[in-house]
Amino acid sequence: MVFDEIYKAYWNKVFRICMGYVNDHDWAKDIAQETFIAIWKQLPKFRQEAAIGTWIFRIASNNCLRQIERQNRMPRAEMPEQIAEHIAPDRDPQVQFLYRCIAELPETDRLIISLELEDVKQAEIAQIMGLSETNIRVKVHRIKEKLTKKFENYEH
Amino acid sequence: MSTEVDLKALWNKEEAKDIPDTKELLKKAGSLRKAARIRLIIQSVVLVAVVAILLGVGLNIDHKQPTTTIGLVLMLAAIVSYLIATNQLLPMLFKSNIEGSSQEYLNQLIRIKRKNEFLDKVMINIYFSLLMVGFSLYMVQFSMKMSAAWAVFLYVITLACLTVTWVYSRRWEIKKTIKPLNDTIKKLEAMNEQLHEQ
Repeated sequence: MVFDEIYKAYWNKVFRICMGYVNDHDWAKDIAQETFIAIWKQLPKFRQEAAIGTWIFRIASNNCLRQIERQNRMPRAEMPEQIAEHIAPDRDPQVQFLYRCIAELPETDRLIISLELEDVKQAEIAQIMGLSETNIRVKVHRIKEKLTKKFENYEH
Repeated sequence: MSTEVDLKALWNKEEAKDIPDTKELLKKAGSLRKAARIRLIIQSVVLVAVVAILLGVGLNIDHKQPTTTIGLVLMLAAIVSYLIATNQLLPMLFKSNIEGSSQEYLNQLIRIKRKNEFLDKVMINIYFSLLMVGFSLYMVQFSMKMSAAWAVFLYVITLACLTVTWVYSRRWEIKKTIKPLNDTIKKLEAMNEQLHEQ
């Protein structure tokens, strides 16, 4: 698979995972770009030991985890609500709420649920995170419960 | 309609409206690589210049005593090791593999940050110890030509200045580098801990 094809097929997927992690449009775009630069550099060495998707999501997830070093910017989840809404007026409020709820979760849970919502198989999520499939299944169930409760409160 | 379907449907509604062109992306990659190369060249030039200046000064002294040479070598070692450690010119110590699993990657980052913290803490002490001992030895030859009072004065003033700088630099290093590094390590450990929670 050549870089251009990977870029077209995976840009939105990677961007959404980064958005789930930081809930900040510009920041997420930066992380997605850094991820694709890393993919472009590593692609000639990619030996197809893992599926290309798993490999790409691993790089994206690790790039998100690295953001801890970038402390000069505040995650959107910590911003006052009116600022966040002012920046993105054309986004569906429910979509905004979902991404805000995900960005408020512990860091590794954000990645697990983002990958799950991106339709990545739980066996692959387990490989990406370095955990067992059972562990991932339990975590996904618990996170979904948490999000459902938040949505119930949001709707009432 | 299940909640899962709802969440997935909402999740998929998010899209980056302006996908950067691949040419723009590769241009950015190229400029990042160029900037890293320029930084490495500047650091290496500074390192070579420092070594050249100190060697030039040392080699131009007539009737050298062994203490002068040893002092010079120690000062040179202090500066070179400090520059290498602080500019991370030993990439193999700080290399991380972004293609591993998140758990492996977090462990790598923690190891790298700990190495960084250790080097920062230890290097400043090594640097000033070598510099003070080196300077004391280097000055033996010259102080022998002075009166005892002047020689003592020169040693006291210089070593006092170096000690003050050492104490001040340590405080600065702790505030500017070691504390943020400690905070990052704590956050990385907390993230690693999250993976093991059920």
